[in-house]
Amino acid sequence: MDLSHPDRRERLDALAAQYALGTLRGQARDRFTKAARSDPVVAAAAHAWETSLASLAEAVPAVAPPPRVWTGIAARLGLRGAGQAGLSWWQRLGFWRGFALASFAAALVLSLVQLMSPAVLPAESLVVVLAGPDARPALIATATRGDAMLTVKAVGDVRPAAGRAFELWALPEGGAPKSLGVLPPVGVAKVALPAPSGEALAKGPRARREPGAPRRIADRAADRAGALHGQGRALLLSGGVPK
Amino acid sequence: MAPAEPADRSARLAALLGRVALGDQRAFEALYGQTASHLYGVALRIVREPSLAEEILQEAYVSVWHHAGRYDAARSQPVTWLTSIVRNRCLDHLRRRDLDTVTLSAEEDDEPAFDVADEGLTPAELLLRGAEARSVRECVEGLEAGPRQAIALAFFQGLSHAELAAHMKEPLGTIKSWVRRGLDRLKRCLDSAGYQR
Repeated sequence: MDLSHPDRRERLDALAAQYALGTLRGQARDRFTKAARSDPVVAAAAHAWETSLASLAEAVPAVAPPPRVWTGIAARLGLRGAGQAGLSWWQRLGFWRGFALASFAAALVLSLVQLMSPAVLPAESLVVVLAGPDARPALIATATRGDAMLTVKAVGDVRPAAGRAFELWALPEGGAPKSLGVLPPVGVAKVALPAPSGEALAKGPRARREPGAPRRIADRAADRAGALHGQGRALLLSGGVPK
Repeated sequence: MAPAEPADRSARLAALLGRVALGDQRAFEALYGQTASHLYGVALRIVREPSLAEEILQEAYVSVWHHAGRYDAARSQPVTWLTSIVRNRCLDHLRRRDLDTVTLSAEEDDEPAFDVADEGLTPAELLLRGAEARSVRECVEGLEAGPRQAIALAFFQGLSHAELAAHMKEPLGTIKSWVRRGLDRLKRCLDSAGYQR
């Protein structure tokens, strides 16, 4: 049907109105969408109604989306070093919010990589790099394989927000993320691992089915680690917890 | 031009979209920062499932990144353009849900699946609140109660004719007629008020 014919102006306008309102559904909507792509008269009619109704949409209360939405967009588009507009860094990485624990207020991803350069550290060491803003290292955690202790050291100017602390999380393969403990605000921290480091940390995150947040966390942590280190695997999370 | 949007904000967003079209990541972040809350609110309103609304928002911004060059500042306000993208995606998802033959009637009688923290405004109230421009508000107020409510529910909650009929407990024919008549009146009123569409 040639909707743009002058005789069908009224019909076109009625369809465009239903299209913009959303009550045009199914195949009728598909046909209209297709027509609008190829026919500027149809497109203009749809556009006019969308504009008319758009002022109504302004009344819808704004709701801040969880930070993971942006993280997901950046990951899908492969944006590098993307921060989050207007957010401070612990909020940026706060896409772990919504995570199973109610006390969880914000969090960070740690990525664990096996260091490829034996000249710097023993080959059996595990190194965790926590990326702050602009993907610069903020915290570094080290563990000797077989040792059930993790040493965490701040290397950047990284502080939790007032009233919060960072918390380390392990993502065991096939299991639920597990807290490894809360970090002191400054200095070097020793964190006991539930098992010798190789066993506790060396296995990569395991995808879990929705609706559990861990699947996304694991995937994104892996993405992030991969992006930062090429071949690293994400193993730890840290989060801010209200004190 | 929709009069309800401040011109400077529109100009700023249009400039950001122009930079996004050139692949400017910072502009894209800024655009997200300035528009995501509004668009997420719109998506939540329509699909009423946070996880789905998040997915739609992601799809929408990915699409914006790829197609920002299609935005034509001479033809529409940036927010209008962005809102259309999100609304259309929401409706696509709702349609898929329609195909899964989910019955709305049981759910509609209960609390909504998700509280969108909307200050308790009903869709009909939102319709009036949204019509900031005097002429638009007057036109909306001029609608009879039935058509006004049907249009509000369709617009803000993405209900189809069949869903409106179930929700408002009216025959499908009545609903279709209300929507058609309501839109028709709205159009004539806007036209006569000189509201530029």
